[in-house]
Amino acid sequence: MSSFGYLIKEGFKNLAHNRLMSLASIGVLISCLVLTGSAIMLTINVANIVDSVGDTNVTKVFLDDNMTKLEAVYKGKELKEVDNIVDVQFIDKDESIEAYREQLGDEVFANMTGDDNPLPYAYSIVMDDLSKYDDTIALIKNVPGVASVSSHRDVAAKLTSLSSFITTMSLWIILALGIISLFIISNTIRMTMFSHRFEISIMKSVGATNAFVRVPFIIEGIVIGLISAIISIVLIFVLSDAIISAARNILDFPYTRFTEVMWPIIGIFCAAGVVVGALGSAVSIRRFLTHEGNEVLGW
Amino acid sequence: MIEFNNVSKVYASNGVHALDNVSLKIDKGEMVFIVGASGAGKSTFLKLIMREEKPTSGSIIVNNMHLETMRRSKVPYLRRTMGIVFQDFRLISKMTVYENVAFAMRCVGKRNDAIKKRVPYILELVGLADKAQDHPSELSGGEQQRVSLARALVNNPEMIIADEPTGNIDPEMSYEIIELLSEINKRGTTVLIVTHEHELVKSFGKRVITIDDGRVVSDTADDRFVVI
Repeated sequence: MSSFGYLIKEGFKNLAHNRLMSLASIGVLISCLVLTGSAIMLTINVANIVDSVGDTNVTKVFLDDNMTKLEAVYKGKELKEVDNIVDVQFIDKDESIEAYREQLGDEVFANMTGDDNPLPYAYSIVMDDLSKYDDTIALIKNVPGVASVSSHRDVAAKLTSLSSFITTMSLWIILALGIISLFIISNTIRMTMFSHRFEISIMKSVGATNAFVRVPFIIEGIVIGLISAIISIVLIFVLSDAIISAARNILDFPYTRFTEVMWPIIGIFCAAGVVVGALGSAVSIRRFLTHEGNEVLGW
Repeated sequence: MIEFNNVSKVYASNGVHALDNVSLKIDKGEMVFIVGASGAGKSTFLKLIMREEKPTSGSIIVNNMHLETMRRSKVPYLRRTMGIVFQDFRLISKMTVYENVAFAMRCVGKRNDAIKKRVPYILELVGLADKAQDHPSELSGGEQQRVSLARALVNNPEMIIADEPTGNIDPEMSYEIIELLSEINKRGTTVLIVTHEHELVKSFGKRVITIDDGRVVSDTADDRFVVI
């Protein structure tokens, strides 16, 4: 095991020796990982929003403007008879306008109460089977006196399609950046190996196995991967926190913070860093050892 | 022990016939000089022994291993049975003398405590105990070649292969190096020296194999070899 300690030390030495290329590899790998992490965080949060919107499962039915309160209350019975509706809840327009009191200011608000209230009476309804949503909505619209129906369903659908669009885009970019980082890491290791070709030829002349020659370079690759993973994790932590704080000003919602889902992401990042690093170096070592690195006497 | 049976080597890249039907045998414990002009096939001969090249035809046995059928993954274990000394020393300039020798032991996975015991002993053997902490650039050519020899010896190989070991050092130092190799040979290690310095070879009165144009043109146990 003593030689393993030696090999690890060599790996770190190589990394320091080849600073510029190492930094380039780390940079590209970081952008790849940060993008991956951002896509994951975005997907999780959009899914959450969609879920919570869906959970409320409430559709509002607005009645005609000129309907009196008595007529409106009677409409409830009619609505409840519509197929697939399990519950209806009357919403008084006086209650509805109350929600706008602060925005409107007391003076304007005073002019909008009682008979001057511009809002219609409404019902919030709960459906039994959401898969029959569109049919049910059509039935509600046929009930005389119903002016319009609104729900968060459109918003949810739009959010979901936006999120899946961003996810698909990110996947392609991640794939491209992943290939680029593999390429750059493999080149970095190739350069290190080239600058060490003298030592390698001596190693081979005294009977070092290819596995032994390989270890420091694989370690160099893995260290590049791990450093990138750690920096990416910190970046995503900071970034997602800032974005969530900003988003909270626009739409208050219990967003999923990075710290709540970080362990699997940290695991994936470290694994990805190690795999990309090891793979990148393995590719170039293989090429090197079967070509120029194979000569002992006459290089 | 080295055994060549009807070995020929043709380089596929340029069609050069480097060795032509060579058969020879070098026993364990022998000290042998291989001489010949440049381009005669000496380098190819060494490359075949080290299994850096494969023969086009014929069979080669080195230290009981059949090289023509040997798998690539086994080559390191062949190389561990031989210590190689190069004309240009091949020392790592940023390492000290001690580290250069220790490097060869690390490469074959030796433990630190074994390295700490073995390296000073070998440096003592080649007369460089007091230079252990020097860097190669601070040493004379002869001293550098002795470091190279120490590195070749440190893993206790069955044979030493020296490729023009005196090519880059002063004539008076050259004699010293061959003398040292002769000492090592007396301790039971097979020694193979490739050189073109006939005068030096003569003075030792050992077996001399002369290669010319890819063939063994003489193989004598004394100094009456063919001068070319």
